[in-house]
Amino acid sequence: MNQTTAVPRLPLDSLPKRPPAKWKKYIWGYLFLLPAVAIFFTFLWMPIGKGIIFSFYHIDFVKGDSFVGWENYKRVFKDPEVMVSVKNTLYYMGLGIVIGFWVPILFAIAISEMRRLQGFARIAAYLPYVVPLVVLYGLWRWLYDPVGPINAVLSHIGFDTILFMTDKAWSMISIVIMETWQSFGSALLIYLAAILSIPRDWYEAAEIDGAGIWGRIRHITLPAIKTQVVLLFLLQLIATSQGFQTQYALLDGGPNNATLTYALLVVRYAFTRQDYGSASALGVLMFLVLGLLAVIQYRISNKEGA
Amino acid sequence: MKIIERGIISDYDLKRPGVKIAYGFMLLVILVMVCTMLYPLLVIFFNGLKLNAEVNSFPPTFLPSEIHFENYHKAWTYIKLPLFARNTLFIFAGNMFMTIVVVGFASFSLSRMNVPYKKAIQYFFLMTLFIPPTTYIIPNFVNLRDLGLMNTFWALWLPAGANAFFLLLLKSFFDGINIEMFESGRIDGASEPRLFFQIAFPLSVPIFATLAIFVFSSSWNDWYWPSLILSDNNHYPLATAIYKYVVNVRRLDTNIKFAILSMVTFPPVIVFLIFQKYIVRGLHLGGVKG
Repeated sequence: MNQTTAVPRLPLDSLPKRPPAKWKKYIWGYLFLLPAVAIFFTFLWMPIGKGIIFSFYHIDFVKGDSFVGWENYKRVFKDPEVMVSVKNTLYYMGLGIVIGFWVPILFAIAISEMRRLQGFARIAAYLPYVVPLVVLYGLWRWLYDPVGPINAVLSHIGFDTILFMTDKAWSMISIVIMETWQSFGSALLIYLAAILSIPRDWYEAAEIDGAGIWGRIRHITLPAIKTQVVLLFLLQLIATSQGFQTQYALLDGGPNNATLTYALLVVRYAFTRQDYGSASALGVLMFLVLGLLAVIQYRISNKEGA
Repeated sequence: MKIIERGIISDYDLKRPGVKIAYGFMLLVILVMVCTMLYPLLVIFFNGLKLNAEVNSFPPTFLPSEIHFENYHKAWTYIKLPLFARNTLFIFAGNMFMTIVVVGFASFSLSRMNVPYKKAIQYFFLMTLFIPPTTYIIPNFVNLRDLGLMNTFWALWLPAGANAFFLLLLKSFFDGINIEMFESGRIDGASEPRLFFQIAFPLSVPIFATLAIFVFSSSWNDWYWPSLILSDNNHYPLATAIYKYVVNVRRLDTNIKFAILSMVTFPPVIVFLIFQKYIVRGLHLGGVKG
């Protein structure tokens, strides 16, 4: 600061004290951030970085790692199971949309129309979400059994026995049905909250203007939950593209690799074949493909916006 | 005059026969849905009371013809349930502690403290949301091995602090707290940790409760990752133990299997039913999960 007056300011709180004061001002902010930065670095960024490095190495816990160049990538590209797993994953994602995605929307609209016992229906739908997954694996193995209750009902109506788990055509469908049953309640709560927050007089006004019930749903209810629909659609696609636990727990990728998803193949490479390098390479490929899709999606939505 | 609650369908519509039938059909569909939700859960419990022959009979029965409570006694002694339940609670407590201290501190700092380069630090955290789990599951495993954390609870506790989704939730909640409260606290000479524990934390109990639900359900549910990390059976959480010793075992009688499964099912279900009002509200506070 330029001082024009003759009287200099007394150095009471000037130079010597200033730097520590400024430093002190920020130290707590950084101290608060420090643990998180350390943890995020050690347990997220470091594995991610290491994954890229591992994909060029042969990992051996006993003899030590050795550099192999593009070997892992070449092996992965030659492996026919990779193509199978990609197809299965896309099939799984598609089935999730076809069988599962519309269920919570439909029930949310239906439940919102209930005049009584709405809370009961809502809790019942959410209940399976509270049950531990491992219990559901045990339960659904029994439900899907050739002599289990579902087949009992089917044979009662006059259908043939369906081998839900061991029939190649059915195994993935069975998994999607089970997962839909288990998790649609959580999506239902989100949709229901959005539907119930629509002002009632909008419907009143539409009705006076002569809109039918279907017209009211199409022009009021569905547009009102559009954001939730888009968001949950994307979240479901992301989640199913990474899915492998149910496939692993119920069928271990069988029968005859019919439920072998990409993520399950990655896990199999690592823990069955002990080939951590190739597993990392598969992981990196997944990241590249998803990153590319994200960029394309961003470009398209930007163009639409402009 | 009584205000009549209406939805998409008005009372006037409901007087029309076509709408009446469709409405009745809709209620029937909901009823069927409720039954398909409740039947499997009740059948877990009832199967645990049957004789093994009855569980495996075709067509399966719903209610047990004779009640055998001794199945539950056998189930209780089959594996060390209290030990595994204790491990699960232990993991939950550690994960929750990490969430409060690591994620809570960091989001408080980003939201309500004066830090240069805030944007860059925020990106450092949030970019991790874009990495697919498939990409880092294997390197993460190898990394934990390299760090020597295998077969310790630390391998579950420490990474629990690296959750960008929770960070985002907490930060947006802190953003909603009036900044003047902290300013006046600072003027009155409160230290920053004190601001966190005495102002921010008490005001954020609802969001921490929501996080507690998320953390609890993940530690109660997660079976795969712990089974990779923990090789010592005495460290298994409940879910992993159930998967390895109950679900995946063929020679165990099915009725005993179901008795064990119902013992792990009902505690969370009962807790949910008692607190469902608060839990559902809490889930809404968390916005869209995922």
